[in-house]
Amino acid sequence: MSTLRYILDNWDTLRPQVLTHLEIVAISILVAAVAGLALGILAARSERFAALILAVTGIILTVPSFALFGLLSIWFGLGNPPVVIGLILYALLPIVRNTRAGILAVDSAVTEAARGMGMSGQQVLTRVELPLALGVILGGLRQATVMIVAIATVGAAVGANDLGQPIFSALSRDTGTLEQVLAGIIPVAIIGIFADVVLAGVQRLLSKGRVAVAAT
Amino acid sequence: MITFDRVSKRYGDVDAVHELSLEIPSHEIVIFVGPSGCGKTTSLKMINRLIEPSSGVISIDGTDTSTVDVNELRRSLGYVIQQVGLFPHQTVAENVATVPRLAGWDKRRIVARTEELLELVGLPAAQYATRLPAELSGGERQRVGVARALGIDPNVLLMDEPFGAIDPIARERLQNELLRLQRVVGKTIVFVTHDIDEAIRLGDRVALFSTGGVLEQYDTPEELLAHPASQFVEDFLGEGRMVRRLSLITVRDAPLAVINGSLPPIEKVDADATLRDALDAVLRAEDGRVLVVDSERPIGIVDADVIRRASR
Repeated sequence: MSTLRYILDNWDTLRPQVLTHLEIVAISILVAAVAGLALGILAARSERFAALILAVTGIILTVPSFALFGLLSIWFGLGNPPVVIGLILYALLPIVRNTRAGILAVDSAVTEAARGMGMSGQQVLTRVELPLALGVILGGLRQATVMIVAIATVGAAVGANDLGQPIFSALSRDTGTLEQVLAGIIPVAIIGIFADVVLAGVQRLLSKGRVAVAAT
Repeated sequence: MITFDRVSKRYGDVDAVHELSLEIPSHEIVIFVGPSGCGKTTSLKMINRLIEPSSGVISIDGTDTSTVDVNELRRSLGYVIQQVGLFPHQTVAENVATVPRLAGWDKRRIVARTEELLELVGLPAAQYATRLPAELSGGERQRVGVARALGIDPNVLLMDEPFGAIDPIARERLQNELLRLQRVVGKTIVFVTHDIDEAIRLGDRVALFSTGGVLEQYDTPEELLAHPASQFVEDFLGEGRMVRRLSLITVRDAPLAVINGSLPPIEKVDADATLRDALDAVLRAEDGRVLVVDSERPIGIVDADVIRRASR
């Protein structure tokens, strides 16, 4: 109860932080989706490229966010830019991996029939492979979104005015309270759960009749 | 007419197809048959260039296929495969509409064509158009595959073991339907199978391949059974080829014995039945003589002698 009171009392400070948080996440996931889809398609076509890109994106994911944002702020300054770029890099792995897996899961008889009927490579991709892989691709997008909603809070350390701010300011001062920390954590959790539920719904809606592959 | 002119396909040092030359006449069903690794599927896929030949020329109605845009070529050749490969995210109607849509037909024409094709393969559009492939039986799926291949009414139909994965009873029904369909559409059909009985049943001509892509014999089923060109062909045809040949000859076409004044035989066989059925009747008949009737009108007598002479 006291946390709710704190949030309401400090809404004028929190509101821009919620909006910035949403903005950072939205931009990052959009860019990562476009780039990840393209890289995932290439990874489905070439085994060697797949090994390379999955290794690189995998390694990025092991770099602590605090360190990555700090490193990126050397080149991109303080504020939102290093955070957005860092989040894009983090989001790539699940999107690339699922795009590749989704395309490779398409029955080879289906693509052979498509080619045999005179579809060009691009038509096979856009009319057959991507529609069939859609459910799996959305699964990756969903995973990436939930992940970066949480990681974005660390961006406050390099000056992004997002929901990491109340958490960091509380932890860095003796006067910091539990309410202050929760005022950052609770909205982040709500955003994360909301995004997950919405994307899961979209995934279910668009996957009707499509190949069932467990979204990892 | 599809012509193979010394067409070879090599993988490394191994010949998948060796110097294949043959002509596939228009409006006929030509069967490529042989054991696995004989190059029959490779030969088929070289027609629509899913596989490119290492050497030689394949031409359709005089046009070298390697000079045509590959996607245009494929749209002009219907293609049916064993696993069917229906698009699981599309309805039956959408699947059948694939090639017309690629060819840029307008909507109304596509709808009309789709309905026509579904009727043609015995799947009423009202009942099947909006179903998904997952809701169909194996036989129904393959019929949709055939309808889809006939999309823009190609002159040629390439069928790669289309009934290979279907249970024997449904397979026989599909074979009969293909023959019925062929009487309606009169396509040039190239059909790959490993089943010699299917080859003999369906083929106007049969090309029998041996391992390494060597064409052993290219003949009508009757000739193939009567005069196998090599030991390999004889072995591949297996036991009982004379009896099997009888099922290719209609009683009407046999040199029937004349009905003389004396007692007519009791057993009867229809003039449109096969000699195999006639043989069955002959074995059943007390005196080994069977009356041949053409819609109840007696036209001759068949006995063991007649059957033997017809089978030569």
